[in-house]
Amino acid sequence: MSMENRRPQLNLAELHQLKWLIGGLLALISAWTVVYMDVEAWLLLVLATVAIPVVTVRPGLTMRVPRLAHRLAFPILLSVFAIDMAGHWREPLPPVIRLALMLVLYRVITPRKRRDDLQIIVLGLFLVVVGGVVSVSIVFAAQIVVFTACALLFLLVITLVDGMESEPTLAGETGGWMQVEWRRLAQRLRECVDWRVAVLGGLLFAGVVGLSAVLFMAIPRFELGNSLFLDRLITSHAKTGFSENIQFGDVVDIQRDTSVALSVDVSDRSQMPAQLYWRMLVLDEYSKGSFRMSAAAKFSLDRVSAQNARVQGDAPLSARTPVWTFYVETGTSRFLPLLGAFNEIGFEGEKEVAFNRDTGLVMLRQTPSKMLAYRVEGMQSGPSLKLPEKGGEIRLNDKSELKLPSLTELVLHTDEKVKLAAWVAEIGAPPGSAPEFARSASRWLAKRHAYSLQSSIGSGPADSDPLVRWVDSAEPGHCELFAGAFTLLARTAGYPTRVALGFKGGSWNARSENITVRNSDAHAWCEVYDKAAGAWLRVDPTPGAAAVGDSANAPQGEAVLARIRDDSWAARFESLRVFWYRRIVNFDQQSQVRLVHNAKKLADERLREFKKTLREKLEALKAWIASPWDARRVAAWGLSAAAVVFGVVGWRLAGRGAWLRWRSGRMRGGPDPVRREAGRWLRKISDSGSVMADLDGVRAELENLRYGPSAKWPEPTGVFRRAKRTLARRRR
Amino acid sequence: MSDFVSAPVVSEARQILERLRANMRVTIKGKDDVIEQVLVCLVAAGHLLIEDLPGVGKTTLAYSLARSMNCAFARIQFTSDLLPSDVTGVSVYDEHEKRFVFKKGPVFANVVLADEINRATPKTQSALLEVMDRARVTIDGEAHAVGAPFLVFATQNPVDYEGTFPLPESQMDRFLMRLHMGYPEANDELEILRAPRTNYDAIVLNAVANRDDILRLQVVAQQVFIEDSVLDYVLKLVTATRTEAEFKAGVSVRGGLALKHAAQARALLLGRDFVLPEDVQTLIVPVFAHRLALVRQSPDALEERRAITAILRRITAAVALPV
Repeated sequence: MSMENRRPQLNLAELHQLKWLIGGLLALISAWTVVYMDVEAWLLLVLATVAIPVVTVRPGLTMRVPRLAHRLAFPILLSVFAIDMAGHWREPLPPVIRLALMLVLYRVITPRKRRDDLQIIVLGLFLVVVGGVVSVSIVFAAQIVVFTACALLFLLVITLVDGMESEPTLAGETGGWMQVEWRRLAQRLRECVDWRVAVLGGLLFAGVVGLSAVLFMAIPRFELGNSLFLDRLITSHAKTGFSENIQFGDVVDIQRDTSVALSVDVSDRSQMPAQLYWRMLVLDEYSKGSFRMSAAAKFSLDRVSAQNARVQGDAPLSARTPVWTFYVETGTSRFLPLLGAFNEIGFEGEKEVAFNRDTGLVMLRQTPSKMLAYRVEGMQSGPSLKLPEKGGEIRLNDKSELKLPSLTELVLHTDEKVKLAAWVAEIGAPPGSAPEFARSASRWLAKRHAYSLQSSIGSGPADSDPLVRWVDSAEPGHCELFAGAFTLLARTAGYPTRVALGFKGGSWNARSENITVRNSDAHAWCEVYDKAAGAWLRVDPTPGAAAVGDSANAPQGEAVLARIRDDSWAARFESLRVFWYRRIVNFDQQSQVRLVHNAKKLADERLREFKKTLREKLEALKAWIASPWDARRVAAWGLSAAAVVFGVVGWRLAGRGAWLRWRSGRMRGGPDPVRREAGRWLRKISDSGSVMADLDGVRAELENLRYGPSAKWPEPTGVFRRAKRTLARRRR
Repeated sequence: MSDFVSAPVVSEARQILERLRANMRVTIKGKDDVIEQVLVCLVAAGHLLIEDLPGVGKTTLAYSLARSMNCAFARIQFTSDLLPSDVTGVSVYDEHEKRFVFKKGPVFANVVLADEINRATPKTQSALLEVMDRARVTIDGEAHAVGAPFLVFATQNPVDYEGTFPLPESQMDRFLMRLHMGYPEANDELEILRAPRTNYDAIVLNAVANRDDILRLQVVAQQVFIEDSVLDYVLKLVTATRTEAEFKAGVSVRGGLALKHAAQARALLLGRDFVLPEDVQTLIVPVFAHRLALVRQSPDALEERRAITAILRRITAAVALPV
């Protein structure tokens, strides 16, 4: 005799409705993964976002799809895929993802059999996993957790439906479930679901997720993306970004993009430099009104590349220099942003890296298709840059026929050179001192031109130099114009000068404690070779920047962070991303050890606090008892104790029964709590298998509660108490 | 009608039924379960079909019941030449009064034993079945009420099928229960053998209840509380017989109602004012078995009955109890 099943069950139609709902949810979750992938599927995504909820809420709509559409669906999908594939055969993954999306969409807007339900799970899993591997974002973690929970529920419902459908049913029942009253279904769900089981299942799932998280933290890292090669299949096309072919004016374009370019962790905040110039590349060649990286400089980078997880620099390592960790977003650049010379760069795996000691530039052979992380030790962050290169003398391979441009020569018309010489004379800096010239020239430029992102260079003869024209005019300009103009002036004055590109500044995310640099922080400045110091000097001629030599007086360390602190909601959201990066990226086992240490420290601290609190409470109690007792105090305490005793006894006598009765009065239609409780005790009695005479009396009372008319119930609490007592006695 | 029965009424009903039970035990030895089911049938105002071999005490059972409640008893031996009017009565012309006068048939009693009902022609059978259903006889447009309470004990010989007109399933449906008496235990049979009497007419029994008591019991039984989950259990059992592949057809709505009424009567019999799932379980075979037929009919009626009982037991085990 079965003793299960004390509550109503969902019927087949209701299970079908539930299945339909969860299926729609799964499809929606998997469709939205496309947002995080760099796949052109916006139309499909919008279609899915509209169609899936509508069809899920009104399953009857699927019947309106003409029969012909079903017959044509497969050939159409296949041909669309074939055309798509033919157009993108170099990158097969995006068409496959689009196909998966189309299939999910088709499955959702048509009636589903069991096979089709399972197909939704498989397609959804494909989309979610690919989305996770490609994007490596924290949303993926949330998505896969929700997806797994839904898929488990979905499978459960499918199994239930299968179980019921194997029983013979009346003909014509199929499709009858499509008239859904969602409110009624929700009500039925509330009736039928055993919430204890549901909560237990939820806890179990949460436990599994938590355990997985712990395992994830604990196990040695490996690169999922690299082992699957999935990221290679989607190459990211950055809309903005620095490259060696950057044209004059491109920096301003980058500035218009406010998305995050990189996030930086620093191990010691007190070492924060006054000025943050994230140097990425230098442009040494000037011709036809624009700066570019000379072919020779590029070539020099190409020569010294190696597959390596570490790049050794020339700067000395000192205990005081902080460790910087960079997380560079996709599409920023393949040149690594750095503050200056460094001792060592460590990657999270082997990378094909090119490093030129002379220019201090580090470049990846390939543009990274996902977030790039690296750690820099012993990085100098001051305004002067000591490099092996002496004023533009880059060592080239002997066999090379390439010639480096001179950093002091200019290819200009004579009249333009004359103009430049006149301006240099007007600046009037003492010869031989690069810092002096830099300060004077910057001041001179700032006096002539205001700063503006919108600038126009006055028209002139077609072959005349635009930069010289701009300096000649009174037009406002942006950083590139200032940097370019300064370079022309400095070279005319005989100082080797080049334009440096990268980011300037950033904001301090107080939540995740990292520096966030946006594309809008893109900047151009100059580097002048200071022969006296034997180092390259950073000069930012753009108005508003600190003048050369000023940085010594500028605030440093925490004060810098306080100035650029960002507490906005966007920062809070980005902090999640950084948190995720920190967890998935690992350079060695250090962070894991640190994590365990921190956990232990935290537990110790809590324990210490708890002990302290306990001790304090005990002391307080002792003091309280020791303090003199008067009549009022005794009376007050006596009364309180009596009230507590009265409350407990009253509750035991009548409270629970009254509560049960009140609830049974309120819950019309649902399972009655008194009856349920009585059923529970009856079950216990029958499980105990006893046939004692004293049990019969209790059993009769319980049966009365379970099956009898409620108006003639005995006091439920008393009966339950007697049942408990009798069973306990029987066990003894 | 109130929702439930008051405690004094229940205890009074129980007393009456206990007296009846004890009284019948005097003559029917070792058949307590049969007596209980007969009483259930009486309280539920249903009719009984007893299928058994001749000479196991069917007549004695019916007669004892009639005597115990001080009611009129009639016995009709069904044969193939029995006419409907032999059962219900006939209108005869009265010379003195110059009009037709209705002469009541044997069916106008409280307990009617229809012996070997399957020997009569379908026409006669249906005459009896109509009386069972309506509790009245209509002759020449005039309705004559039969006794109240009215309980028909129909008997059938399951083995001897020669020259019989088996009752179709639709007619079987009108019986509340079908019972088997079976042979008594050796000890009980020895006691029967010792008794001097040979005929049921020789049975001397005191009446321990009267008609009004029985009618009141029948009203009270209808008021016995049956909780929703138990009703749902009845429904599930009924549905299970309908979806069972081995049955030709499931139990009718009347069958479900019969199970409910019988369970209410049993609860009252045991002194309860509410139905337990156990009541339903105990009664499912006597109430359902005769209403069902197998898809693959067995040539042996007893074999078929055994198979049906086994399936019903299986169904009972499969349908979850409302606990």
